[in-house]
Amino acid sequence: MPLKLPPGTDQRTFDAAIRKFRSVVGDEWVFTSEEDVDTYRDPYSMRWGHEDEYLASAAVAPNEVEQVQAIVRIANEYRIPLYPISTGKNLTYGGAAPSYSGSVVVDLKRMNRVLRVDDKRNFALVEPGVSYFDLYRYIQEKGLKVWIDCADPGWGGVMGNSLDHGIGYTAANFRDHFGAHCGMEVVLPTGEVMRTGMGALPGADTWQDYRYGVGPWVDGLFAQANFGIVTKMGFWLFPEPEACMIGDVLVPKYSDFGSLVEHINYLEDAQLATGRPMYSSPLGLALPNDELQSLLAPGWPTTERLDSLAAQKRIPAWRVRLKMYGPAQTLRGTWAYVQQRIGRAIPGATFENDQLVELPLKPDQYPAHHLVDFGIPNMQIFSSIARRPDDPPNMADGHSDFFAIVPRTAEGCFRALETIYNVQRKLGVSPITASPFRGPTGWYHRAFFIGAPTLPNYRDDPAKNWESRKLFAAYLSAVLEQGFSPYRTNPGFHDQLAQAYSFNSNALLRFQEQLKDAADPNGVIAPGRYGIWPKRLRGSKP
Amino acid sequence: MRWWSFIVLGILVAALTAGPTVSQESDRQGRGQQLFTYWCRTCHGPGTWENRPLPGTGSLQNKYKGALPAVLEDRTDLASPYVQFIIRKGSEGMPFFRKTEISDDEARAIGDYLARHDRK
Repeated sequence: MPLKLPPGTDQRTFDAAIRKFRSVVGDEWVFTSEEDVDTYRDPYSMRWGHEDEYLASAAVAPNEVEQVQAIVRIANEYRIPLYPISTGKNLTYGGAAPSYSGSVVVDLKRMNRVLRVDDKRNFALVEPGVSYFDLYRYIQEKGLKVWIDCADPGWGGVMGNSLDHGIGYTAANFRDHFGAHCGMEVVLPTGEVMRTGMGALPGADTWQDYRYGVGPWVDGLFAQANFGIVTKMGFWLFPEPEACMIGDVLVPKYSDFGSLVEHINYLEDAQLATGRPMYSSPLGLALPNDELQSLLAPGWPTTERLDSLAAQKRIPAWRVRLKMYGPAQTLRGTWAYVQQRIGRAIPGATFENDQLVELPLKPDQYPAHHLVDFGIPNMQIFSSIARRPDDPPNMADGHSDFFAIVPRTAEGCFRALETIYNVQRKLGVSPITASPFRGPTGWYHRAFFIGAPTLPNYRDDPAKNWESRKLFAAYLSAVLEQGFSPYRTNPGFHDQLAQAYSFNSNALLRFQEQLKDAADPNGVIAPGRYGIWPKRLRGSKP
Repeated sequence: MRWWSFIVLGILVAALTAGPTVSQESDRQGRGQQLFTYWCRTCHGPGTWENRPLPGTGSLQNKYKGALPAVLEDRTDLASPYVQFIIRKGSEGMPFFRKTEISDDEARAIGDYLARHDRK
C-alpha cells in the first residue's frame, strides 16, 4: 500500500521536511520505507486493512530533548502533523499508530534513560522510552527498596501509560498512574521546553516531591491530549512494604453485592484495604455456559431470580479478594477488623484463603502469585489471549478493551452489565457473552470499571474487523446514554467520546480547543487526539 | 600499485572472506542470547508463572501440540531469516517490533542465536 502523506502537504514539501529531520537525528533514525513505516501500524487495530486505518507517513526517532525541539520546529515550518509515542506498546488503545493519518510519528523509544531513583524520598524520574521492565531492573540492580506500580504488560512505558491514564495493581495511591506522577518536562508545540511544578523554580530539589509549584497546575493538559511532547516525568514510588495480607470475603446472596461494596468502599477510602479489591462471582464461575444461556434467554434476570439461583446451588454469589500492604502486625489486626465488620453486617458472610505473605517475594514463590500485585513486571496478561488447544487456525491476532467508568454501587454495576447485555441482544451476538456475574474491576480506587467482553481483531481478515467496530460503537453509544464512559479508548472513538461530554453545549471541549489554538497555532501536535482538533482541521476532520 | 599494497589487499580480502573466529561466534551468540533474554524470554521462556506457561510458550504448545518444542530455545529447526521476519511482522497475538526497539543487527543476532542448532 502506498505511504500516506500528511493531508494538504505535497510531496516536495514533505521531502524537504524529511531532509531536515534527517539532519537532526541522522539518516538511520528517520523511517520512510513502507517496510519500516508498517511497523508503526497498530497490530491490534479494529481498523486493520480498512480504508480509514490510522497510518503514519514516516517516523523520526530523536535521542535527546534538543532533537525533539528541532523536530517540532521543523514540523511548524512545514505544517507537518506529529504524533509522539513513548514505547509504542499502547495495545488496544492505538499502539504506535497516529490518531491522524499521514502524521509523522515521533518515536521516543531511544530516550530510555532512568534519570533518578530515590528510595529515601521514594520517587523516580524517567524518560519516555523507559519500560516497566527497565525501571524494575534498574531498581533491582541498585538494590533500592522501592516498588514500581506496573500495567499488565511489563514492556509498557512508565510514562506513556501514565499519560494515557493507565492504571495498575499495588496500593491505591500508586495504581492511578497519572495521579502518582510528580513533575514533567515538556517540549511545547512551539519547540520551547517547559518544566512543570517545582521544576520551574531554579535551584529547587523538590520537582518530584511537590507537584503543584504555584499557580495553575497544567500537567493534566499533557495526558490524553495534544499540548506538547513530554520528555521527562517524575513518579512517586511505593516504599517496599514488609508484608501483604490476602483474604477472601464471600457473601451468599446476589443482592448482598450492594452491602458488600459499601463495606469495601469504606475499607478502601479509610486506607485500611490498600490493595486492589478483586470482585468475582463463585456462582457465575460454577455455572456451565448452557445454563447461563438459558438464564439469559428470556431477558436480563432479576435480582430475585439470581438470589434464588444462588440459594438453589448453595454457592456464594460474590467474592472479593482483598490485598493489604504493610507491617505484619498491622495487617493481622486489619484483617480481623474486616471479618468483624462484614461478618456482623452481612448474614452468611464467610472468610477464607487468608494468608500473610512476607515480602519481598522469593523467586520460588513467583509461580503462585499475580506478580503485578507485588510490583513485579511480567507478560502473563498475554496468556489470556494466547492460543488455546481448541482455537481455530485463524484465531484473533489482537483485541480491543472496553472498560466503562461506573459508580461504586450495586445499582451502577448491574445497570452497566445490563447495558452490555442489551447491546448484544440487539445486535444478535450469539452466544451472549455478557453476564450478570462479571465483577467490576477495582484498578482505580474511586470508581469501578465495568468491562465488556474484549473485541477481536484479525490482521489477515479485515472484513471480520467490521464486526468488532460495529459492536464497539454500539457499546459506546449505549454506555454513554447511561452516563458511563470508557476511561480510555482507541483513536477511532475519540471524537464520539469527546463530543459526548456535552454539558453546557460542550463547554469543556470548546475550552480545550481554545487552549489548543493558543498553544499550537499550526496544529502540529497529535491532531484529533481525544477529540481535540486544531483550528485548521476543525470541521474538515476525517 | 606498490608491492606492499597487494599484501594489505590480500589481508583485507582474507579478513572479509574468512568465517568468524570461535571467539567472535561465541560473542555473537552471547549477544543474541542477551537480546533474546531482554526482548523475548518473558513470553517465550520455560517455566510456569501464575500457574500457567508463559504466553508465547503456551501458545506454541497449543499450536504444535508436541510436534515441535514449545520453548523457542529448545527448537532446532529455526532459521535466522524466519526469526527476523517474525520480529518485524508479528504472529497472532505477538505484535511486531520497530527498529527503535530491535535494530536489524539485533534482530539478526536473535535470529542467529535461535538458529545456532543449524550449524550442528
